[in-house]
Amino acid sequence: MDINKILVIDDEEAIIRVLSISLKSDGFDVVTATSGKEGLKVFQKESPGIVLTDIKMPGMDGIEVLKKIKDIDSAAEVIIITGHGDIDNAIEALKYGASDFINKPIRDEVLTIALERAKERFEIKRKLKNYTINLEREVKVATTELRRRSSFLAKLIKSSNDGIVAADKDLKIVMFNPGAEHIFGYSQQDVIERMSLNELLSADIIDLFEEGIHYDKTTGELPWQDIDITSDSGEKNPVRFAGTYLYEKKKVTGSVAFFQDLREIRRLENQLVRSERLAAIGQTIAGMAHGVKNILHGFKGGSYLVDIGIERNDSIKLKKGWDMIQRNVERTSSLVMDLLSYSKERIPEYEKCYPNKIAVDVCELLENIANENHVEIINDFDDSISVVLMDPRTIHRSLMNIMTNAIDACLFDEDTSKNWRITLKTVQENNRHIRFEITDNGAGMRDEVKEKLFTSFFSTKGHRGTGLGLLVTRKMVEEHNGRISVASRLGEGTTFTIRLPYEMVKD
Amino acid sequence: MGKKVLVVDDDPDVRLFSVTVLEEHGYIPIEATNGEEGMEKIKQEKPDLLILDILMPRESGIKLYRTLRTDTSLEHIPVIVVSGIAKKSFLRSQKALAEFGGEIVPEPEAYLEKPVEPDVLADNIKKIIG
Repeated sequence: MDINKILVIDDEEAIIRVLSISLKSDGFDVVTATSGKEGLKVFQKESPGIVLTDIKMPGMDGIEVLKKIKDIDSAAEVIIITGHGDIDNAIEALKYGASDFINKPIRDEVLTIALERAKERFEIKRKLKNYTINLEREVKVATTELRRRSSFLAKLIKSSNDGIVAADKDLKIVMFNPGAEHIFGYSQQDVIERMSLNELLSADIIDLFEEGIHYDKTTGELPWQDIDITSDSGEKNPVRFAGTYLYEKKKVTGSVAFFQDLREIRRLENQLVRSERLAAIGQTIAGMAHGVKNILHGFKGGSYLVDIGIERNDSIKLKKGWDMIQRNVERTSSLVMDLLSYSKERIPEYEKCYPNKIAVDVCELLENIANENHVEIINDFDDSISVVLMDPRTIHRSLMNIMTNAIDACLFDEDTSKNWRITLKTVQENNRHIRFEITDNGAGMRDEVKEKLFTSFFSTKGHRGTGLGLLVTRKMVEEHNGRISVASRLGEGTTFTIRLPYEMVKD
Repeated sequence: MGKKVLVVDDDPDVRLFSVTVLEEHGYIPIEATNGEEGMEKIKQEKPDLLILDILMPRESGIKLYRTLRTDTSLEHIPVIVVSGIAKKSFLRSQKALAEFGGEIVPEPEAYLEKPVEPDVLADNIKKIIG
């Protein structure tokens, strides 16, 4: 449709002629018809943007032409030419969608204004139409894209190995993918819209989740951490967990939690640890020869003294020899016990205990030997640590081993001008862990010694060590889900840090 | 008058063993529990023989041995090493020390690996100082 093309319909050819001249001079392309019927034909053929039609014509009148044209193309602007004072007809024409009307005799300026307005309206309508078409097209594209993305997301969630659980703002679970089914043991039907996050997860994980929100308010995201969840069958499954709150206009609308199944990884880790340990036992046997030689030497010496005692009936020699044999029996047994406890798996036995009290016990047991070697033991305990559920034997044994090592580190120190000092520090960490720090200012370690510490049988202590103390300590700490680490500088001292998780005592 | 033998070892059982062997064979035993004390006793008592453990805290056994062998007034004192480490390892460690700029020191008069039979210890002492 061409807005610069005008169809003029009038039964009076003189008027057509005059109008044509005037319109052409205004730059329009003019087509004409002398009756309504002919006008419609020309309209269909030429598709003009504007139609100028007389109202009173024999046969089909202007109103009829208007209706028909609007039926053919409603976008066309139709201007009706009426007789002077023919208001009724003019109003009717407007009712049927005429753009405007002008009175006869036609004045050029009136015609120009009417045409201007028609052009403007046509332009607006054209734009509106384009706009609408465009909008519809964009909505369609967006809808397709949205559908594509949402089905992509649904597929992602469905095929994810990670468990994904989403809940609404009342913690009711609204999404539970196959990964989550695998980890938790519940089926989607059991969970979706039927269970709340509170029922699926234990209270401390929910706490963790809420704590995480405070952790980073800007993103509402909780960083990954390793926890245990309880499955449908009551099994404790290790998972790596992260979560995020969903916000809409700064209001919480729900939450999503992600769970990575760590069962297989843990199983492989355990296998690795076990084979590492067996390898270490192999090396231990070679390395142990030295310790065993010392013990055998003690037995030899003891029997030698006993022999002399018996021969001469010398009860003092007899007693000394017997004591020596007994001491070496003791050394044999501690070596064998160390070996046993290192090679066997042990499940920690959690019971109520006071970690600070155990630390005090260890310090008291070592007080004499420390005093003898001019080593001062300093306690730095965190008073906020109260009664907890932990394995007291793990704490006792680990502290005992590390503290004994610390005393040896002072004893082995070449710088005898130092005031040797060992600090045993306890720290409560985020209501979940207790940290034990044993710091000495003794000999410290070379890097190559530090590297060998936990990896294989190793002792720098001559007849004092079985070479298993740290291996046993690390094993016990890890069986308690804890971590042990060491920092040391040659000549300056060493700090061992043991971090053990605990559970609150429930009444 | 019997000959003086200094026993340097941090392990009281090992000392008692050696001391008894010495007493049984008519020597006069003197004891020291570490290298530093050993050096003092050597200077004070001028022993005829040293029975030494080389693996003691602060590496004081090896240090004592090396000082002894590099001090012209003391190098004549014979040494029997009694140790849980093999002779090979000990000699290798001395060679390594020498390579790192230390002095080359002569081997000990006798090197006995634990466990040591009392007779073997006695024989070695006799062979060296009579």
